Amino acid sequence: MKLLRKSFFRLSLLLSFASFTYNAHAQSDPTGNSPATNTYAITNATIVQAPGKQIEGGTLIISNGLITAVGTNINIPANAEVIDGTDMYVYPGFIDGMSNTGAARPDAMERPEDLFTPDPPNDYAGITPEMSVKFQLDIEENSINNMRKLGFTISHTVPHGRMLPGSGSLILLKDGEHADDLIMEENVSMYTQFQGAPGAYPGNTLGIMAKWRNLYRNADLAKQHTEMYASNPAGLPRPTQDRVLQAFYPVVDRSQPVFYNANSILEAQRAMRLQSELGFNLALGNLEEGWEMVGDLSGSGVTVFLSLNIPEEPEVKEDGDKTEEVAALEQRRLDFYNKQMSQFSAMDAEGIKFGFSTMGATASKIKSNLVSIVEHGLDSVQALAALTIDAAELLGIDAVTGTLDEGKIGNAVVTTGPYFHKDSGVKYVFVDGDKYEYEIRESGGGEVSEEEAAGIVGTWVYTSSSPRGEQTGTMVFTRQAGELTGILTSDSGQPDRILNNISFRDGTLTFDYAFEAGGQGVEIVVTGEIDGDEFEGETSISAFNISFPIVATKEVPQQ
Amino acid sequence: MKKLNITLLLAIGVAFSASAQTPVGDILIRNATVITITNGTLENTDVLIENGKITRVGTDLREPRGGVDEVIDASGMYVMPGIIDAHSHIAGSSINEGTSQVTSEVSMEDVVNPLDVSIYRALAGGVTSIHLMHGSANVIGGQNETMKLRYGTTNPDDLRFEGAPRTIKFALGENPTRGARARGIQPQTRMGIEAMLRNAFNDALNYKAEWDEYNTTRGNRKVAPEYDLRMETLVDILEGEILVHCHSYRADEIYMLMDVFSDFGIEKIIFQHANEAYKVAPELAEFGAYTSVFSDWWAYKLEVYYSTAYNAAILTQNGVNTSINSDSGELIRHLFHEAAKSQKYGGLNDNEALSLITINPAMQLGIEDRVGSIEEGKDGDIVIFDKHPLSVYAIPQMTFVDGVKYFDYNNDPDDQRIWVDPTSAIQDVVLYDAHDMHLCMHEADFVEMYELINGEW
Amino acid sequence: MVMRTFKITSFALVFALVALVPLFTMAQQSEVVRKAQVAKFALTNATIYTVTNGIIENGTIVINNGIIEAVGADVAIPADALVYDYEGREIYPGMIDSGTQLGLVEINSVAESRDYNEEGDITPQMQALTAVNPNSEAIPVTRVSGVTTVITKPSGGVFPGTAATINLFGYTPDQMYAGSKGLIINFPNSARRWRQTQEQADRARERALGVLNDTWDKAETYASIRGSEDVRYYPEMEAIADVIDGKMMVYIEVNAASDILSALEWIEDRGLEQVVFTGVSEGWRVADQIAEAGIPVITGPVLSVPNRRSDRFDVAYTNPGIMQQAGIKVALRTNDTENSRNLPYNAGFAAAHGMGREEALKAITINAAEIMGIADQLGSIEPGKRANLFVATGDPFETSTQILDVFIDGYQIPMTSLQLELYDEFLDRVPGLNKTEITVDR
Repeated sequence: MKLLRKSFFRLSLLLSFASFTYNAHAQSDPTGNSPATNTYAITNATIVQAPGKQIEGGTLIISNGLITAVGTNINIPANAEVIDGTDMYVYPGFIDGMSNTGAARPDAMERPEDLFTPDPPNDYAGITPEMSVKFQLDIEENSINNMRKLGFTISHTVPHGRMLPGSGSLILLKDGEHADDLIMEENVSMYTQFQGAPGAYPGNTLGIMAKWRNLYRNADLAKQHTEMYASNPAGLPRPTQDRVLQAFYPVVDRSQPVFYNANSILEAQRAMRLQSELGFNLALGNLEEGWEMVGDLSGSGVTVFLSLNIPEEPEVKEDGDKTEEVAALEQRRLDFYNKQMSQFSAMDAEGIKFGFSTMGATASKIKSNLVSIVEHGLDSVQALAALTIDAAELLGIDAVTGTLDEGKIGNAVVTTGPYFHKDSGVKYVFVDGDKYEYEIRESGGGEVSEEEAAGIVGTWVYTSSSPRGEQTGTMVFTRQAGELTGILTSDSGQPDRILNNISFRDGTLTFDYAFEAGGQGVEIVVTGEIDGDEFEGETSISAFNISFPIVATKEVPQQ
Repeated sequence: MKKLNITLLLAIGVAFSASAQTPVGDILIRNATVITITNGTLENTDVLIENGKITRVGTDLREPRGGVDEVIDASGMYVMPGIIDAHSHIAGSSINEGTSQVTSEVSMEDVVNPLDVSIYRALAGGVTSIHLMHGSANVIGGQNETMKLRYGTTNPDDLRFEGAPRTIKFALGENPTRGARARGIQPQTRMGIEAMLRNAFNDALNYKAEWDEYNTTRGNRKVAPEYDLRMETLVDILEGEILVHCHSYRADEIYMLMDVFSDFGIEKIIFQHANEAYKVAPELAEFGAYTSVFSDWWAYKLEVYYSTAYNAAILTQNGVNTSINSDSGELIRHLFHEAAKSQKYGGLNDNEALSLITINPAMQLGIEDRVGSIEEGKDGDIVIFDKHPLSVYAIPQMTFVDGVKYFDYNNDPDDQRIWVDPTSAIQDVVLYDAHDMHLCMHEADFVEMYELINGEW
Repeated sequence: MVMRTFKITSFALVFALVALVPLFTMAQQSEVVRKAQVAKFALTNATIYTVTNGIIENGTIVINNGIIEAVGADVAIPADALVYDYEGREIYPGMIDSGTQLGLVEINSVAESRDYNEEGDITPQMQALTAVNPNSEAIPVTRVSGVTTVITKPSGGVFPGTAATINLFGYTPDQMYAGSKGLIINFPNSARRWRQTQEQADRARERALGVLNDTWDKAETYASIRGSEDVRYYPEMEAIADVIDGKMMVYIEVNAASDILSALEWIEDRGLEQVVFTGVSEGWRVADQIAEAGIPVITGPVLSVPNRRSDRFDVAYTNPGIMQQAGIKVALRTNDTENSRNLPYNAGFAAAHGMGREEALKAITINAAEIMGIADQLGSIEPGKRANLFVATGDPFETSTQILDVFIDGYQIPMTSLQLELYDEFLDRVPGLNKTEITVDR
């Protein structure tokens, strides 16, 4: 699928314009953050210009946002900052096929009065395809840096939400002054998922499938009407404005693909079922369980991004006493793990071109997951292709990125060894010509410094004022291998909750956790400010559109 | 001998796809007592299945020249048609879209879960076809899916009972009114349910009129009315293209629905559960309505208090086509025993009792030309028992769908799951309460869930 | 169709033996009054399954004053006895369902009619017998199927209360009480309930273990000091102390294999005797350990799904037989209420799946009585025992078998119930489709 080919030339013009004007506004820079130069030369490195195309002792020049030269015997511009790439590897910047990177979770919305109608308000029902992810983009989102330091330079970012949260955009994972600075191309996809609106229609997959069909068919009719009216309005009723249906028009005429967050085999089959009935362009944006579908996907025209959210290798205990039953069960579990791990090479063998997506994956595990995928049989050249040129082709941006060719966007990853080697680390990432340098840690992938973490690590006693009354308990945060972990224990006797996505930045603490209720996953998000030993924030359950205050006090360790 | 067993099917799972044919087999069963259901019980009789179809029922049948997958000596054993469960909720990822009182547009075919090990357990109870139903949270629920239990595939399409008529779930009484009461909306009474049904059908008639006008208007310069899958489905019901299977308990509500359907010219109804159907048996017979009931469930809620286990017998004696269903992942494993209870409670004869789980449910699903009896030309969906299937001591020995053996009591290895979550616990022990397997209201109770979440904080 | 009730048994029997089927297509009127009959009864010419002393062909049973006075092939028939000729019929001891909530709930969804679950984790002093409603409609429905005796039990929490064994006939709890009670402990459970996550289950287990052990420690202290002066009356501890002192048996509900092993250890640590395991759905995995400890088991329902998705489809069917063959004394329960009448079918499935008919019959008669400590009164057809028995057309496990008469404590039970009355009223409804039109002057 070539999504963006047509916009390439416009895009490159814009980029060069941006480069020329880069310093025009910069009156002074008391922060000292501005780079000394916008030209970089990485020398004497192993440059993987494209998957399978390796230059030993090569030089890469990135200047004013673009790759200007690559190869051996390259003249180094006088204004270049020279980076000695000896023993280092340089790769094209990685491309994330689908994620929420950079998108902030919107505030919980007011719970509508009249929830139980056949047609609840579209925003509550999660049917907002007219929304663009650019309105959720937040330059402060730490996911941008978290993904960048793994080597990702471009993300196809889709909005948070329910059934039809809105359109996805391609964003550059760079530091900008405004969200728009990050946007490479907007509205490149219609994003959808099997996420019902609890208590309102559509509540689950049943309603979502039907609603999808209904919306699509009405969009088709409305589009015909609009076009007929546009060509000759005489005697025709004026078409009504319906932003939801209008958002479907590019899907109906197949100029915009549908990105489905369908990770299980059953969800993926359901997405394909809708596609075959309605005929839109489909991308399975985050496929986890695809191994039984290799045959179905082959030649189907469906674009595939395979999830980098991979389970831990299941344990097979070295226990001589274990029963035959346990041994057999452990083996079966391992077999299924192996099926999942070998789906990458199986797809490749079938000639299915795929990229990767990081949605749902834990950032700190992505590198080791990629290494593991290669260990399970995916050729490392192919793995790199999935991260770079293949993803670029599938997203229609291979003319501007995906390889380290002259004239392409200055996106590159510099590592201390071959990327798919577990001991290698990312030293530099170039995004849109900007340089980002990283400390190489033994453990790799850490995200919070000890200093930063000090403000939060410890035990916090919380009180939250929920609709049910006051609830109390403790939250314990620790820092392990550079990452924050946390556990919440409620005094009400609920099970302990492992906290996810803990971020602590400039005094703002956010985390979330999930649990099952009535057969449905429910996510609770907590966000607030820490001032010394006091935390003040808000708890929100977006599934129910409720939020309520939470305060916590850090326990001072007893002497 | 051609061989095609489940392990092989698993191994070639990739070969399944929407367009692919599902597997068929060739089987010769010798010297069995064959309970045909529609043509008496035949001693020392052979049954030949070729390409998934029953081609011969007789004595001393010759093995076809090409051979068969298996010749089974069934001396002393009983062969009967595969059991059909007209009310099931196994193999579904979701059960209720209970967020609106009318959701005719949704369909269980969208949420079939072929990975559910309950399918295998049902096969082990001799079941070959099920009616995967939407739940009973709303008055007009979703469309159901009639399936064959071709276990071993990961593709939901392979379980489809190709050619089976469309059906839809309605629900009366306590379940839909309970949900509405919790939400402060209609219908909270059985009066309100009737009104809602009539409103829905009238809306559908108006919708149809709009589209009819559009379709009969000449010329290209015309604008289509809004498309509404919900109304489309209701129109299909009014036009007799979709069979209504209605969750109901009390006699009055059963009577009400017949009245409403008469007014709207809908000719067929199958009443599901219908614990008080016995009270209006003459009216059901007069209407030509069918009933699909429990063997003996009662007293778990008010509207089933005045039940009797003699329901199936009274209905049968009054000439009402009746089936016995499970509505449960537990009961589905021994429907032959549930049918036998009609002998204790009301003295049905063997053929009447076995009809309750074979030809009668087949008629209720509109698939009686394919399954439900052992007749030449019908599908090779059969089960072999070691003893008479109405005996409590009977154990299904082999179960075939389309002539393919999906269960063999004597070759039944441990762990019949076809999908294993790599993150699952090895020792995952689950305890069930008596009615956990009764899934009609599964996922339906928003209020209960809201409470759960409040309990979180 | 087959007849289903004898209004006046001896009378009906004469006809029934001759022409069972045609008679009852006509005889559909039923007595509305459900009244038992008491007399000196002589049940003659029957095949008697005594359970403890083999099968007696053409045998006679004499019932007098609620007691079986005589059993045998050559028993003299007292002159003043009401004689029933049961030629061709089979007589069995009344079936015992070792786990129900009969009498404690009428309609499960109506909270006001539920009396089995008191608030709190530690309510051992709650007495099921107190709340038994002798007039529950489920009781006649159950007993006309030959189930004459049940354990009825409270539920919920770690110590839900005290279960009682009752006979399904009587107008007060005392008239129904069959002489056995037992304290219930829900042993902390590592398995998860349906819809519960393992995390939730683990947490609940940890909590329950704390409750169990803390409470037990306290009860041991209480047991050692009670009776002395100045000890305050502590009803919760009183109930548990009775178990500690060996005055009361204890039913420990435990299912998962690992929990069964934990429970065995716990019993040994606490030095408990008179312990019965209930549930025990994974008993087949650890049958040898249970047998070695000599703990009897009440298991069921047999008609249930396996606890693990990886289990064979029939593990619940084969479980009782495996345990019995390992040497465990096994009784069965339905764990049901309104459908405790399915007890014989639970036994039938256990019989078919390895237990055998004879052992399955014991599991719902003499084994149950022995486990409850009332085998001197119930569980078999022997002189001196209470006259709890039923008359059947054949093997009571077979689904088509009809139960013709039931005797409980020597009373001949009216063979009717709500369900039978509805059958009688509606089989051939009057009016049928058309009601005679009555002209009314307006």
